[in-house]
Amino acid sequence: MRPFDPRLLAVAPAARRPVVAVAVVGVLQGLATVATAFALAALVVAVVDGTPVGAPAGWLVALLGTRSALGWAAERSAARAGVEVTAALRRALLEHWLRVPAERRPDPDRGATLAGQGVATVEPYAARFLPALVAGAVVPVLALGALVWVDPVSALVVALTLPLLPAFAALIGAATRDETQRRWRALSSLAGHFTDVVRGLPTLVGYGRAERQVEVVAEVSGAHRRATMRTLRLAFLSSAALELLASISVAIVAVTVGLRLTHGTLDLGTGLLAILLAPEAYWPIRRVGAEFHAAADGAEAVADALDELAAGPAGRTTPAGTPAAEALGVRLRGVHYSYPGASIPVLRGLDLDAGPGLTVLTGPSGAGKSTVLELAAGLRTPSAGTVTAGHAHLVTQRPFLPAGTVRDALRLGNDAPDADLWAALRRVGLEGFVAALPAALDTPLGDEGVGFSAGQRARVALARATLSTAPVLLVDEPTAHLDGPGAEIVHELLSELAERRAVLVVTHRPELVARAHRHVGLEPRAVGATA
Amino acid sequence: MSAPAALRNPVTVVRPTRATVLGGLLGGAATTSGIALTATSGWLVVRASERPVILTLLAAIVAVRAFGMARPYFRYLERLVSHDAALAELADRRVAVFSALVPLTPARLGRRSRSAVLTGVVEDLTDVVEAQVRVTVPLVSGALAGLGAAALTAWFAPTLGLVVAALLVVLALGCVVAWHAESTSRDALLAARAEVARVGDLVARQAGELKAIGAERDALRALGAAHATWRAAVARQSRGRALVAALLPLGTAAATVAAALLVDPATVGAPVAALLVLVPVAVGEALAPLVDTMRALARAQGSSARLTALLDQEPAVHDPAGPTTSSAQHPEHVDGCSEPRATGGAPVVRLEAVTASWTGERTALAPTDLALRPDRHVAVVGPNGSGKSTLLAVLARALDVTGGRHTRDGVDVRGLPLATARADIAVVDDEPHVFAGSLAANLRLARPDADDDALRHALALAGLGPWLTELPDGLDTRLGTGGRGVSGGERTRLGIARAVLAERAVVLLDEPTAHLDDATATAVLDDVLGATRERAVVLVSHRPEALNRFDHVLDLGAHPSSRPDQE
Repeated sequence: MRPFDPRLLAVAPAARRPVVAVAVVGVLQGLATVATAFALAALVVAVVDGTPVGAPAGWLVALLGTRSALGWAAERSAARAGVEVTAALRRALLEHWLRVPAERRPDPDRGATLAGQGVATVEPYAARFLPALVAGAVVPVLALGALVWVDPVSALVVALTLPLLPAFAALIGAATRDETQRRWRALSSLAGHFTDVVRGLPTLVGYGRAERQVEVVAEVSGAHRRATMRTLRLAFLSSAALELLASISVAIVAVTVGLRLTHGTLDLGTGLLAILLAPEAYWPIRRVGAEFHAAADGAEAVADALDELAAGPAGRTTPAGTPAAEALGVRLRGVHYSYPGASIPVLRGLDLDAGPGLTVLTGPSGAGKSTVLELAAGLRTPSAGTVTAGHAHLVTQRPFLPAGTVRDALRLGNDAPDADLWAALRRVGLEGFVAALPAALDTPLGDEGVGFSAGQRARVALARATLSTAPVLLVDEPTAHLDGPGAEIVHELLSELAERRAVLVVTHRPELVARAHRHVGLEPRAVGATA
Repeated sequence: MSAPAALRNPVTVVRPTRATVLGGLLGGAATTSGIALTATSGWLVVRASERPVILTLLAAIVAVRAFGMARPYFRYLERLVSHDAALAELADRRVAVFSALVPLTPARLGRRSRSAVLTGVVEDLTDVVEAQVRVTVPLVSGALAGLGAAALTAWFAPTLGLVVAALLVVLALGCVVAWHAESTSRDALLAARAEVARVGDLVARQAGELKAIGAERDALRALGAAHATWRAAVARQSRGRALVAALLPLGTAAATVAAALLVDPATVGAPVAALLVLVPVAVGEALAPLVDTMRALARAQGSSARLTALLDQEPAVHDPAGPTTSSAQHPEHVDGCSEPRATGGAPVVRLEAVTASWTGERTALAPTDLALRPDRHVAVVGPNGSGKSTLLAVLARALDVTGGRHTRDGVDVRGLPLATARADIAVVDDEPHVFAGSLAANLRLARPDADDDALRHALALAGLGPWLTELPDGLDTRLGTGGRGVSGGERTRLGIARAVLAERAVVLLDEPTAHLDDATATAVLDDVLGATRERAVVLVSHRPEALNRFDHVLDLGAHPSSRPDQE
């Protein structure tokens, strides 16, 4: 796993500045930390020698004041980087999914998990791990550089022992890898057990099995405790070994400094500086290791998201319909379509023309009627053949209404003023109903507000379609949930809309077929016939 | 086991135990060793610069090495003790919380996305227990090390003891500020995060629908707005954190300069003077992480409040048998049935002018009548909010009626023990849970004594026969977390197979096809109606198609009196 993938900054340009800010603050903090050691050593020497402490004390206050400001900046920039990196990555993913056709989107559960919990783990990664990574890279180098300058002997001790830390970590890791992995697997299944039974509680209660699970929960939690402690003992032991190594190295520096001081080969200020600088070389490395375990999920989510964004050649992102966005109509030539993973194509060599006016599409269930509409709308790309279509608005069988007010639902995809919304509602016969709602257009929909029946939802979606400026209107079974009079209003509306636009409707109502200028019948998995 | 203690209040945040205090003592030893390492190193170097006989330095050299080794050693012991204590605590509290959840399930877990509520319970409980390690232990060890350092400096020079004590006060102040900042910003931040998650989830799932109506820009605008709110909430929280991060170096600077000015090398000697000047820096660095513990504390307090609010609810159904014995009893038919049972031992369920409410304030189901006889298939339709799910909850004995009569074979159900009342009923909701385990185990929870043939028969009835033959290990195939993935349609059919296997006479289906595409939904509905031919079925659906296949359609929206009261 890569600690930092530079592609992140390419796909999420908004993340660049905050990440650079984190890096700059991290470098400045490293410099201030090293400088503080100089001031502190000078202050102690002044106290011991009985010379005036004013100058070194002034320096120390100035430097700690700087560190105070940098501490402020570090918290702010880290929090900002966490938000900006996460938000930019989520936005890039969702923009990508809104752009590509259905075949190139992951299945909804996987997509929602990646954009949700997955991307959320990027926040601690960016806000905590990245600053630690910068400190881990900068502070040891600065401390060692300063040591080389003031006391090469101590620098040599540090330079010889410092590489032992990652080497030791790798050795311990290699020696315990199999054991650790085996234990983590066992552990994650034990750890997941409680979540699993709690999430399944409604089922357990329904079948009267819940109280029996109490003992199982106690038993598994006990097993989880024992297994976790075995794993943790190993993990704590290795981190204790590394800390011991660092401590001993610092102690070696202190003791050699002490011996050289007694021999008079070193002055007090230099000796003090050496023992203050030496620990700074070790701890950031251990912190990077500790934070990495916490941020591993985030690094993995970054990799998943980048893979998702990189999938497929960029050229195919343009939906088939857009080259002729101004065209008034839909034209399919020799179109084949197979659903991803399906062996039998749903459409084979379909030709279809739907110019200005009303075109109806009929056929038995499973013949691919909805698929034709999705192809025309550019939501899917044909496996073979060409689709030419103007910019289209598609009303699906289960139209999407957001949680919000009636106005929010109507204004999705347009910026129409209220007068237009009322006109649209009048055309679908809902004006009176909405006007009678407690807050008219501001009435919330759904659980907390007014409930709309399936037929009312379909009509709201049609009202929304009339507000769209798209020259092509595609409608899937608009009257499935409507009774006779309701269906009549919708049929009238579709005929009216067809005077100015190309309207392609999937239907099984003979009344609407009778009104149509063209009628296309699809047969089950067969070549379409034009009537 | 301290389970009885945990039962009293399973969600208390900080409750020092013998183990956490021991952890704190060990942690205090580790932190003190770290401070002593810096201080004795300073002493050693200054004493060495006076060029004494090497032997006089030996004690200091040994001390430096000992403190250097003691710190990782004590830290290791502390981590072992405190983590073990936390895990023991977690085990106890999990049992307690699970037991407390049982009587509240399902009606008190919210009416939507119960699995999300339940996942939240698991996470909140983990936060609360982690606070034991991340709050109690560092607080005890920090207090110990800080007071120890103050006492030691005071022994050498009383005024410097006061300086260190003042630094401790600054640190404590930093902790208070940090806690306050976290507590006050936490709720807004959580709400902002939840909104970002909601919008992100919606756009990810509805990308096709949004594209269909040309609403991509609106979707991204909504995401932008959610991100902006979140950004503001994080900025507010980070201001508090930044304030504390800025405060600590200033405190250290002041204490160090004060120490340098107040120390008198002539009285304590140069080496000790050096040691005393270095102590504030060492204390500041060793105790700065305490501020982080305040984040864990604030977080755990929020989690605890949520858990308490959930667990303190009264159950939505009264159990005449009492909560502790309800499921231990075997379901038996109650004597004195005034209305004899029809075929197959299925009860006749009647609702007469029944009303119900989830909260006690707003009526969710207006007076409704329903007679449910064996082999009768009833579809319930109506707009959102008309009480479809509420009706099902009443039938499932998950919710008591607030008015009217709910009888089973003529007996008021409130007189029946819950276990008995529920034993005839199977509920298949829109997200049946698949447990991590074998397919057989997933089915047998509905009827533990079922043999493999019965399992196969139930699967075949639910339309899962072909699926079963494709499974690599048949009935032993592992499903759920870590096992084979199960699609939405398969999940619903598994729920139906459970209901069939348990031979429940009444099957209640709450939008079983809500998350399925049209073709799958139709196929699943076929299998539902086929598998439950001999049972009483009540199906709540948003899809009015195929209603002609039911014996009776109950439209809660058609009935003018059944509109829920609007506030």
